[in-house]
Amino acid sequence: MKKLLVAGLVLAVHIPAFATDTPIVGNVQTRCLITTDTNGVFGNPLPSKLSTASADGGVVPVVRYDVTLADAYLAKVTTPTAFSASPSLSDSVTWTGSTAVSKTSDAAMSGYEAAKVTYGSTTQFDLTKAGSTWFSSTATAVYGVSKSFPGGSYTAIVLAECIAK
Amino acid sequence: MRKLVAVALLALYATSAHSEYLYGISGNMAGAGHTWGMNGIGPGNTRGLRVNGVFYQYTPVKNTEDDMVVHVRNKRVGGGYIFSSTDDWSGLPGGIPITKGFIIDNLPIELWGDGSIDVEGTGSVIDANVVYSYKYNNDCLTPMSDPSCPGYAEAVLGMMGKIDVTTYDPMDDKNITDVLKEKADLEADSEQDEEDEDSDRLERILSGVDESVLTANIISQNRLMYSLTRNSNMNPYYIKKLAGGVYKETVVLDGGNLPDNKKGARAGLAQQILHTKMVSMQYDPKE
Repeated sequence: MKKLLVAGLVLAVHIPAFATDTPIVGNVQTRCLITTDTNGVFGNPLPSKLSTASADGGVVPVVRYDVTLADAYLAKVTTPTAFSASPSLSDSVTWTGSTAVSKTSDAAMSGYEAAKVTYGSTTQFDLTKAGSTWFSSTATAVYGVSKSFPGGSYTAIVLAECIAK
Repeated sequence: MRKLVAVALLALYATSAHSEYLYGISGNMAGAGHTWGMNGIGPGNTRGLRVNGVFYQYTPVKNTEDDMVVHVRNKRVGGGYIFSSTDDWSGLPGGIPITKGFIIDNLPIELWGDGSIDVEGTGSVIDANVVYSYKYNNDCLTPMSDPSCPGYAEAVLGMMGKIDVTTYDPMDDKNITDVLKEKADLEADSEQDEEDEDSDRLERILSGVDESVLTANIISQNRLMYSLTRNSNMNPYYIKKLAGGVYKETVVLDGGNLPDNKKGARAGLAQQILHTKMVSMQYDPKE
């Protein structure tokens, strides 16, 4: 009887199986940082027009791309095609917009503007150099056919993306 | 005496020394042209001003096919350049502003020579903006803040020149000369008179010397106090005068006669009688 008990204890000790999970941890540090340099403001030069152009009393939004790895990213800036917030509108709004390089941190980046690709409301820049690049976007909204915008607050969004090649 | 006062003032000012760094940013040094001096950055009369950053921006004006190189730089005092950044615009389009920032390793302003934006090739630069960031000690905003500040000695000596420092020469002291003269006369006096008057004259000699020493101490104390309170202009108090200059006696004795106080005399006499009676009581036979 004593021998059986000892054998049972030995079996009980060996029943738990040892197993470990070894994690693999890695951090990816972003090498493309997008920062809003200047918030845009709509001017209202005509009752039917909202514009960020300084000539129209607006402020052009500026976004800065900081890239620490050359020739690895594309900058995509999309001008608005709708208001994200506005009074109720009963007519269509016609949007026009453009994006251009406004400032660079390297002389070689001055070629970005000539090499940009535009499709729809999106402008794409190939960030071939490391450093900072400032992009400014203009946006104009015209309501109906010379129809006055209803009074209220209007907000539109410029979408800036950094796409890895 | 002048040296002593100067040393005392130096010691007084030395006690207020302290160090603290302040930071600042210059204005656009390239605003008036494409060359500039470095004297204008930072507040004046600062000690240990050090440049810790350079930021510049400009817009190149050129045709894409033209070669153009732009140098933004500062000469180093003694030769060479202490800061230089070159942008090669050859084959690149102009019109887009370039902006750059550099962290500088706190290089002393004494090393920084004139700055410039130099263009090589075909093209030009517009809307240039060059800004320096710096740090400095605030303990030399006035030269006398610290003995190690530039111009400290000149400032202290300049302040000394404004103070009317009168030196004390013992031989100009009338008390001293009188005593010396009297001492010479003493030698000619007879020994008999010398014995009689010796102690009296010695007292006067010592009195005169003490008075001179006291005067010297008072002068030095006055100078020290004057230097301590020099910032307080005491003149407004000194020039105050009494109205009329003299306070005349205004109490007049009516009739000019002071009669005896009979009531007081009676009270005094009664007290005396009582006192005498009390004293005499001790001699009364005991019963």
